[in-house]
Amino acid sequence: MGYWGDSLLTAFELILGFDREVRMAVWTSLYTSSCSIVIAALLGVPIGLWLGLNRFRGRQVMIALLNTLMALPTVVVGLLLFGLFSRQGPLGPLGLLFTPMAMIAGQMVLAAPIVANLVLAAVTGADQRIINTALTLGASRLQAAIQLLREIRFGVMAAVIAGFGRVIAEVGVAMMLGGNIRNSTRTMTTAIALETSKGEFAFGLALGIVLLSVALIVNLFLNALQQR
Amino acid sequence: MQPVISLKDIRVTLGENFSLSVESLVLQPHRIYALTGPNGAGKSTLLRVMALLLSPQAGTIEFAKSDSTDLARQRQRVTLVEQTPYLFKGSVTDNLSYGLKLRGINSRERSERIRATLAIVGLEGFEQRQAKELSGGEVQRVALARALVLKPELLLLDEPTANIDSNSMQSYETLISGLPEYGSTVVFSTHDPSQSRRLGEEVLQIEDGHLVNGSPRGPQSAAFNRRRSVYGA
Repeated sequence: MGYWGDSLLTAFELILGFDREVRMAVWTSLYTSSCSIVIAALLGVPIGLWLGLNRFRGRQVMIALLNTLMALPTVVVGLLLFGLFSRQGPLGPLGLLFTPMAMIAGQMVLAAPIVANLVLAAVTGADQRIINTALTLGASRLQAAIQLLREIRFGVMAAVIAGFGRVIAEVGVAMMLGGNIRNSTRTMTTAIALETSKGEFAFGLALGIVLLSVALIVNLFLNALQQR
Repeated sequence: MQPVISLKDIRVTLGENFSLSVESLVLQPHRIYALTGPNGAGKSTLLRVMALLLSPQAGTIEFAKSDSTDLARQRQRVTLVEQTPYLFKGSVTDNLSYGLKLRGINSRERSERIRATLAIVGLEGFEQRQAKELSGGEVQRVALARALVLKPELLLLDEPTANIDSNSMQSYETLISGLPEYGSTVVFSTHDPSQSRRLGEEVLQIEDGHLVNGSPRGPQSAAFNRRRSVYGA
């Protein structure tokens, strides 16, 4: 069947056979990405909302900073946090390096600016009458802001999903802060990189297919939201 | 009778070219006030000040029997319906429920008040209709119902008939003229002098950002006999 055909066959056997290595890598990816996106959303949504609703000195600088953070290479985030979490670093005594917690922290740093920026765009593009309508119906400023979030909920969900897409596909942070430890911090992306370098192309392909499937589902969901 | 709202020495400056100045304005309960003046005179700005959406740089705004300094609580006594109202996504009931929920009204009372208010504005059976499916005139009526269901002491309508077609105008004006029966003092803005005389028991004239004396009413408004001057009251 040839190299590709044999590899694909083996890959599907690994997936359909619920291979333990594949399962663990998929689980670690989904677990760390889900945790990090929840924290990133808890931080990013209020920041985007606040920046979108308020005009103050330094706002443009903050937006420029968010844009810069969005484009940060994942290895740079990994490097900076490695310096924080390593034994000599300020957070070294916590012993977080090469644990899922460190990966979650790194992925959160990657995702939060994306969520904040896309929520900011959604708030800026929202109908300007929403806040005043809520206020005049008796809402407090906070209640009006929450109502605005309800009105732009699809934009907010799209922001969160875009952040999730970024972290589940990244490799730099997972590699540098997780250390690619088998059954612990090995994610789909780091496993693909490692196994392929070892010549286990079929294994990498199996994980690649799962990763592509996740990315496809995320994008289909994103498209469905954008059309609403 | 204690006034619904009193404004004194109000001054609002917006940008470099516009300022609103109101020396004194006192609105009495259960009356209809027409706020009239040319485009850009400051009608909408004054309504937004009275709705507590815009803070004046100077002056005082007092509500009757006010015992709270909380802005949101004060704001619950007045409701503004914008010229082009925004309806929240969802059903007509969702829209009418919003302010009621903020006021802690229970589900049963909400349903009763929503049904009764929709009947007042001529939209019986519209409870489950989606906001995005409504026509322009229906949006205007739902927005009015959404304000009216809250039983505000002061109901502010910014050019309420601007987007109403001529066929519906008369019924909408009849609706507005009956609003004080439901307990609200009504202030509506218009740049149509004949409409201000038809509907307004008292006319507030605004020009170049200054509230001038309530204008005399024309013969068309003879049916209303409760006119009084409000400027400098």
